[in-house]
Amino acid sequence: MTRDPRFDVTTTTTCGYCGVGCRLEAHQHGGHIVSISPALDGPANRGHTCLKGRFAHQFTRSRDRLTAPFVREHGTLRLASWDEALDRVASEFQRIKAEHGPDAIAGLASARGTNEDAWAMQRVMRAAIGTHNIDNCSRVCHSPTSFGLRKSVGLSGCSGSFDDIEHADVLLIVGSNATAAHPVAGARMKQAALAGAKIITVDPRRNDLSDVGALHCGLRPGTNAAFLNGLTHVLIRDGLVDREFVRSRVEGFEGLADLVAYLTPDVTEELTGVPAADVVRAAHIYGEARTGSIAWGLGVTEQLYGSECVQMLCNLALLTGKIGRAGCALLPMRGQNNVQGVSDVGALPDTYSTYRSVGDDATARLFEERWGVPLRRERGLKLPEMIDAALAGKLKAMWICGYDIGQSDPDSAKVEAALANLEFLVVQDIFENLTSREAHVLLPAASFLEKTGTFTNAERRIQLVQAAAAPPGSAKTDLEIFSLVSERLGHPLPYRGPEDVMLEIGALTPAFAGVTYERIGRGGLQWPVAADGTDTPMLYAESFALPGGKGRLAALPFKPPGDEASEQYPLILVTGRRLEHYNVGTMTRRTGNLELLSHDVLEIHPDDAAAHGIADGALVEVRSRNGSIQLGAHVTDRIEAGHVFTAFHFPEVRTNLLIGQSADINTSCPEYKVVAVAVTPVAVHAGAARGHAVVA
Amino acid sequence: MRLTVDGVALEVPPGTTVLEAARSAGLWVPTLCFDDRLAPFGACRVCLVGVEGARGPVASCTTHCREGMVVHTQDALAGRIARNVVELVLSELPAPPAAHTELAQVAARLGLDATGGPAAQRWAGAVHEQSHDHRHPYLAFQHELCISCGRCVRACDEVQGAFALTATGRGFHANVTAGLGHGFAESSCVSCGACADTCPTDAITERFLVELEETR
Repeated sequence: MTRDPRFDVTTTTTCGYCGVGCRLEAHQHGGHIVSISPALDGPANRGHTCLKGRFAHQFTRSRDRLTAPFVREHGTLRLASWDEALDRVASEFQRIKAEHGPDAIAGLASARGTNEDAWAMQRVMRAAIGTHNIDNCSRVCHSPTSFGLRKSVGLSGCSGSFDDIEHADVLLIVGSNATAAHPVAGARMKQAALAGAKIITVDPRRNDLSDVGALHCGLRPGTNAAFLNGLTHVLIRDGLVDREFVRSRVEGFEGLADLVAYLTPDVTEELTGVPAADVVRAAHIYGEARTGSIAWGLGVTEQLYGSECVQMLCNLALLTGKIGRAGCALLPMRGQNNVQGVSDVGALPDTYSTYRSVGDDATARLFEERWGVPLRRERGLKLPEMIDAALAGKLKAMWICGYDIGQSDPDSAKVEAALANLEFLVVQDIFENLTSREAHVLLPAASFLEKTGTFTNAERRIQLVQAAAAPPGSAKTDLEIFSLVSERLGHPLPYRGPEDVMLEIGALTPAFAGVTYERIGRGGLQWPVAADGTDTPMLYAESFALPGGKGRLAALPFKPPGDEASEQYPLILVTGRRLEHYNVGTMTRRTGNLELLSHDVLEIHPDDAAAHGIADGALVEVRSRNGSIQLGAHVTDRIEAGHVFTAFHFPEVRTNLLIGQSADINTSCPEYKVVAVAVTPVAVHAGAARGHAVVA
Repeated sequence: MRLTVDGVALEVPPGTTVLEAARSAGLWVPTLCFDDRLAPFGACRVCLVGVEGARGPVASCTTHCREGMVVHTQDALAGRIARNVVELVLSELPAPPAAHTELAQVAARLGLDATGGPAAQRWAGAVHEQSHDHRHPYLAFQHELCISCGRCVRACDEVQGAFALTATGRGFHANVTAGLGHGFAESSCVSCGACADTCPTDAITERFLVELEETR
């Protein structure tokens, strides 16, 4: 690349927005990032990126960045030196540990941070504090994916790569709005469709890919299991099963065939609302294709039986032999840039790196030997359990890094009460947020453009992150902060920098054995990475990572979701993302993206709007059993009747006040996608702005 | 299949273009409408090369290699045509292209004085009038710099799939527009910036960068 005279320095790094993992060229001038362009050799983005990765970098120099630590004194936060703030953190943790034991303290690692940050934090929690109370936001997004994949095929990650998109004759896309939530992968899927691949979208809401797809199946929220088992019925009934593959590589066929026998297309239509003919068509399009990949998002996982639905998706691939070869990937669309990695490296309450149980003695001894401390064998608290324990007064302290649970977790009012009930709350972030309102210490952290390490994208690809600018003020990288705290807790971390952390991960994690920054280079490495540096773009070509090597078909029945429409709450709310913003909007709301989308709306079908007396643009109240919010209505037939949709990007709206306690049975991932609500027009006094949200 | 480019014997897989073959041998061939991310277009006639036995120079980006082909990237006639094409393009601009642009770099390598000077005096005739659209928070149109290479339109279609940009006008008035001409925000644009990324002249660029240039 010719050096561009407009820029002082150009740094190649990895995007910190979604899990696609675009490689970016960050151009600096006068100490600031002034432009970002896509790296032409990025494996996932191949010279492209989206409006978040490319343009939404102004937040790094926002006036309200946290640039110095704060401590609470007489009820208010005041500026403090790093020494004072860190001493306070260490002494409070030590006091609480002495008075209530180490399990009275819990930490949340950030899925926005690096693998090295997450590793360091789980080490501090486990080794310096002595608790496995460490979790991350995969709890509320793809923990069911991890669970389901491990049950069905063995490893918690994509079975192939984004490159399988271009090799697939069919893309079955379930509960994922890729062009909005994972724009570059979405663009690749759209291009694949334009080049002749058949896309089937399964979602209560039409999306951009439905418009270029071969078939859209607009099912009722909460009925994924019925639909997927209904597809399985047709695959078996119509001879679309790869018998040789099933015979030699898979177990559990008989049980599954028996289970789905009753799920004829007519029964499936009755349960899901998808016309029987479309169920048959979908099964035939997928089953008859030479190659096919399955992509899914939180529309699958964030449900009462989300983890089981992931197993049902795996059933489809296992039955038709569409796994372990080019064009046949199981592709979970991971939400955050590093939600794959933060879980891989063990920021979880029940597992060390690569999902090895904390109860496994051999694994635990490896860690004990390396870290020189005894480690517990009982698992720690999952995030929802932390909230309950805090409310019950059993959990006394939390350390929350780069994760605004106040805005993003379900039942926001309960989260708020739990945080308020803590004796000591440390928030480590780049901005103040709804979580930090109750903080006792606020530590200013570096953003992804200001730190070095690695992220792991949705295709298991470990990629380098390079600091492209300096953190503002006295803000420090998470790794520096963890090191300073751990030292004060009497357990100094032996890392000279991020690469030392990766070497320790490799030393304690066979699947990371050969990972070095030099080998990662510009192209990344897809784990497992052997000691000689050989990586694994495709899993399961020969066998599955399960005892015996066979894939497991899961015979799991359809069960109704945790919430259902009633007379009092006649509509089902589904939440998701918009293209312009990212999750709680901490970063994107501080950029020009706000000009592109300044507020959120509630999407409602014209029939429902008419039935409830709602005009396009009118202010409405959305009420669930759990809470209520107000925002503007957008009447659209993109959504099926009976459902409404909104995002959760704006703290003014606080959509998650509506979400209840229902959660995936295996992983506690909240059921964000099925919430019964009532929508009523709000009388607006003259002059109120159209569609602008009102704090509930 | 085997071919010779500037005396270098090459073996390439079927379907390889002459441009790809030349580049694989480390040879430089000028291009304006070409972008690796897009299907070859063959519009600008700057990537011309000589091929023995052909009636005249051919566009290397759209010509597939054939067995035994003998290619000369330094073919005199091809070079003269390419320089003329770039000169014509430069002659319509109201000001020399900024140094960082691909157009300026190609012109410089072809030995053209893009920044003015004696050569520029030969470029009499009409130049495009300034026409800017800065309504989008990130993307800026500077229509007078459009050279109708079609890269932005193709990037929008072939990389993103938004189909927001359209080539408009004919001849001297050929240009690019978003949607029905009411700016990016009123079109199907998804603000991905692929157009700005590929534009060889800053006819579409980033507002931040325009502002950065203005503060220099």
